[in-house]
Amino acid sequence: MNAKVKKRVFAILKYVILILLAVIWLIPIFTLVFTAVKSKQDFFTGNLLSLPSHIEWSNFTNAMTKGRMFKYMKNDLIISILKVPLGIFLSAMVSFALTRLHLKNRTGWLVFFLVGMMLPMQIALVPISIIYNKLHLINTYFGLFYVYIGFGISFMVLVTQGFMKSIPKAIDEAAYIDGASKWQTFVSVILPISKPALATLFITDFLATWNEYLLASVIINDNDLKTVPVGLMTFVGEHGTDYGYLCAGVLVAVIPVMVVYLIFQNYFVEGMAGAVK
Amino acid sequence: MKKKHKEESSRSAYLFMLPALIIYLSVIVFPIFYSLYISFHSGTGIGMMKFVGLQNYVAMGSDPVFWQSLVHTLIWIALTVCITMPVSLLFAVLLNKYMPGRTFFRGLFYFPSIIAIVAVGIIWRWIYNPQLGIINSFLKLIGSSYRQTWIAKPDTVLIAVFFASLWQGIGQPMILFLAGLQSVDPQTLEAADIDGANGVQKFFRVTIPLMKDTFVMVLCTLVISAMKVYDIVKALTDGGPNNASQMLATYMYNQTFAYNNVGYGTAIAIVMVLIMMIVIVPYLIFTARENDGRKAK
Repeated sequence: MNAKVKKRVFAILKYVILILLAVIWLIPIFTLVFTAVKSKQDFFTGNLLSLPSHIEWSNFTNAMTKGRMFKYMKNDLIISILKVPLGIFLSAMVSFALTRLHLKNRTGWLVFFLVGMMLPMQIALVPISIIYNKLHLINTYFGLFYVYIGFGISFMVLVTQGFMKSIPKAIDEAAYIDGASKWQTFVSVILPISKPALATLFITDFLATWNEYLLASVIINDNDLKTVPVGLMTFVGEHGTDYGYLCAGVLVAVIPVMVVYLIFQNYFVEGMAGAVK
Repeated sequence: MKKKHKEESSRSAYLFMLPALIIYLSVIVFPIFYSLYISFHSGTGIGMMKFVGLQNYVAMGSDPVFWQSLVHTLIWIALTVCITMPVSLLFAVLLNKYMPGRTFFRGLFYFPSIIAIVAVGIIWRWIYNPQLGIINSFLKLIGSSYRQTWIAKPDTVLIAVFFASLWQGIGQPMILFLAGLQSVDPQTLEAADIDGANGVQKFFRVTIPLMKDTFVMVLCTLVISAMKVYDIVKALTDGGPNNASQMLATYMYNQTFAYNNVGYGTAIAIVMVLIMMIVIVPYLIFTARENDGRKAK
């Protein structure tokens, strides 16, 4: 009986702590949504915690058109859609070689490919901007896309090789006996089996690319080509004090990501855990 | 026959790695050496570069802002290790076993990690706003006369930015810890039960030692990302007020792109890499050993 009571108390205590933490975690989100729908008058007449008198839709339409959020999102989408699948494919090829083909000093190669994940991007900023200036790659999608692939390789190799290591070698041998080449084995046997890892990678890398700021801010400075994070910073520069408008812009930028997250939530929490095991 | 097969396989291994290797070499490996070269020069990067030897590195020694940024970065790493790590472990422990609402809580705490950090910075800049921000408005509402300018005051700015970063970044280590907790064999815990261990003892004597790999991984990823911290500082304070939240990464950027001291900025980046080596090298040795160990099994 005593143990049962103790267990109950613990369970209640756990919920109290969790709810308290959840409230703290929700405050910024509510602040964002509340601010985004408030009109300018509401700001100066009411208290921040008071409800908006009406929903100010013009904040959103202004952010999309005058604030160029729509354009930024389109640019970001183009780059992410191009970069993510290609990056995954190239990294999966590396992992195929690392885990399934004869290779001297396998561990050395793995470490070599992983180092990029740990180095600060700052180390490459100046050389990239100098080279890009010479090659006229500043303000091009290709320029940004190329460095994104380079910086993404390490993490993708880490995840894909971790998964491919667990696929039994007998599967490849069966494919070779059936007369498949190495390329065919990779594309039509190993890649399909790796789908769970690739799906998780697709979603996490899509978000990482969508949200990347530092490289994009160095390579892109043309307003017509900016991605969402760089665009948001421009937005702050232009409307630093108009928080209703600013929060509407942030909210608009966050909504697509939120939708992706809600649909694929399991891939994040369960999938990420699986990917790193 | 067998030897020929091996050679062929080895050649195709290189072919499979080739495309990624070319990109990786040109985006990461070559720029590292190029950066090293630039760091021995002065100039704006576009025009003439003058060889100055170690002068850029020597100049750091007498640059108070460099030392400030270094100290702030080290404080940031300490905060990450002492706060982010235990807090994310706490979240993971609370959300490990099944209970109603678990998915909601996990989803909520992870959610900020998927938003652009720049957007997080904008949200928190608004929260910390001294006149209209929610914290000071709340203080006013409950009748407190305490007001704080948060990110506009040198004493509080670092901790305020850190809290925004904690809100944003707790999800990733939480998930790593959840994965670690799930990999602990329940039979081992049952054995401890039979031996009469209580919950706390079980956690510290059984669960934590069994999660050694997870701890190493979380610690290293947190320290590495703390070392690189940039976006959140850029969006909230840009290193201000008066360099009170200047980090190595922001200072490097400002020197290079705002003041055009390309050689000096690059030298700071090299120093960042050297400091990171202290963490990276042991971690890589650990990973490589694990990898070899698994193969031997």
